[in-house]
Amino acid sequence: MEYFFLDLGVLGSITAIMLIGLNLQYGIAGIINFTYYSFVAIGAYMTAVTTMGHPAAIYAKGPLAERYILQWSLPWPIGLLIGGLSAAVLGLLVVIIAVRRLRSDYLAIVTVAVGYIVLNVINNYTPLFDGANGLWNIPQIVKLPTESYAMYLLVLSLVAVAVFMALSHRIYHSPFGRVLRVIREDVIVAKAFGKNVQLAQIWAFVLGSFMAGIAGGLLVFYIGAWSPAAFQPTESFLLIAALIIGGSGNYWGSLIGAYVILEGIAEFTRFLPSSIPGTVVGPLRAILIGVALILFLRFRPHGVLPESLLRLYPRKRKAPMAPTIQAGTGNVPGQAS
Amino acid sequence: MVSEFFEAVGFGLVTASVIALGAVSLSLQISVTNYINFAYGDLMTLGAYYALVFDTGLHLNFYLAVLLAGIALGITFVLMHIAVLQPFVRSGARVLTLLVVTIGISFVVQNVIILIWGTSAYRYTVDVGNALHLGPFVLTAGDIVIFGTSVLLLIALQLFLKYTKFGKALRATSNNKDLAMSSGINTDLITHITWGISGFFAAIAGVALAIEENNLRPFEGFNELLIIFSAIILGGIGRQTGALVGSLVIGLAISISAIYLPSAYNSVIAFALLVLVLLLRPQGIFAGREVAD
Repeated sequence: MEYFFLDLGVLGSITAIMLIGLNLQYGIAGIINFTYYSFVAIGAYMTAVTTMGHPAAIYAKGPLAERYILQWSLPWPIGLLIGGLSAAVLGLLVVIIAVRRLRSDYLAIVTVAVGYIVLNVINNYTPLFDGANGLWNIPQIVKLPTESYAMYLLVLSLVAVAVFMALSHRIYHSPFGRVLRVIREDVIVAKAFGKNVQLAQIWAFVLGSFMAGIAGGLLVFYIGAWSPAAFQPTESFLLIAALIIGGSGNYWGSLIGAYVILEGIAEFTRFLPSSIPGTVVGPLRAILIGVALILFLRFRPHGVLPESLLRLYPRKRKAPMAPTIQAGTGNVPGQAS
Repeated sequence: MVSEFFEAVGFGLVTASVIALGAVSLSLQISVTNYINFAYGDLMTLGAYYALVFDTGLHLNFYLAVLLAGIALGITFVLMHIAVLQPFVRSGARVLTLLVVTIGISFVVQNVIILIWGTSAYRYTVDVGNALHLGPFVLTAGDIVIFGTSVLLLIALQLFLKYTKFGKALRATSNNKDLAMSSGINTDLITHITWGISGFFAAIAGVALAIEENNLRPFEGFNELLIIFSAIILGGIGRQTGALVGSLVIGLAISISAIYLPSAYNSVIAFALLVLVLLLRPQGIFAGREVAD
């Protein structure tokens, strides 16, 4: 039971990092990204291959051979950073297509297509990614028994969540964040104020992709394996659904989406009576999330924690100059004469 | 080498005709409603399963089963529009919101299919026949029926749009909804009819796809949807001819590239072409609607 909550905590925190990054792209900057999970996959892969060293002796050759590039054994923080940066580089490539003036819904389709290309190349181009076999035997970053290791990663991922939440908070209330929100609401207004729309969007997207890469790295440290089959496009849709139900725009909503909507529902289906077969639980869960997504969009489009809640606690700033009207110095509209 | 090329062109034409069924009807719906239906692929699959029920479950004639599946899916589309999508449109939802709603529908449909039919592959009772040599092409009887049906349906649709009163009203609605409404056209009814037509075509496309792929699986339509979108965007959004040309280009590109590349990269070719076109000519080959949100 204890381990169950530990597992939920680690996976929930890693998902939270993904949602914080996705919220920066979609919730705050309004750039649609239907292939967010591809960035998680790239981050995970690069982190793994830069930290795990050469394959174990039994997997070095023959039909069971595990093939992958680099085979470095760097210290894990550097590997994690490389994972994040690789995802950021892929993000840069995608956003350059994304900022072209294309209707937002068609752009969404394009991001799905890019995700497919990435997944397909990974799956089929064996020299680079070892195809559908993926990676396994990824060593723990510190040698610990299972439960203590989970605890270690829980602390690590919670630190990452805290850092990215703080970053989101700073960005949201900064001039940069305000520009992003203006772009989201009305690109023309942002341009009219002389803001560099494309640069702001590129930054938001690349930062969000970086967070996806970090989340991927932590995931691969925790699970110890990596397979392209785990990175299907539907995973990205689940993330978007969770973000919208939690409250897109509001970074606290990302936490609700991660811990409650995604991990909570997934983990608690374990406690369903065993008479319900596993082949039914998965589809039922997806149907539940699909229906919840539609109902939320219809009746509570801003999610559980709407963005407007953030404005209840604005940062301190100088009080604006109150318009003063001096009595008797002319006609004030609305004043009875 | 030359014969290989012609064979590929033959397959390409069949592939293109399957894509075109989806692309033209989805494009028609987008041009009338002005938002994307992301559930189209999964609904295509649902239509194919409807046909399976009529075919192997009720033991009807195969062609009758496909016709009934088309009508049933058309009704499903209209009901889905009335129950789910129309309330969103009425409340003034943005196109992106509607896209996400249809993703939700796609989730639900896909998993309902898995719940009912499982993930194993099914086949229709129809026999596609052996490969025949027709001039330079090598095709099965099934391929020829698919190609012929697709061409006939697409011609019928064009005639319907051009010469009937409904067709004219539909084109008017797609062109300018407010103006159509003030000319006394019942645009609500026209929108329902559009969804019905889209559903009918989706079922036929789903069955054709299942025959072309040699079996029916739950994710078939979803994977095909992205190829259909590539064709639509390639040709320019909201244009019927654009969707046709786009389908032709994508279909031929997929099958001709299979000569030089492993077949696993089939869909990659379609998407790479899409990304390339968007980089060079964001409005598509045939300039579609103004690019705006």
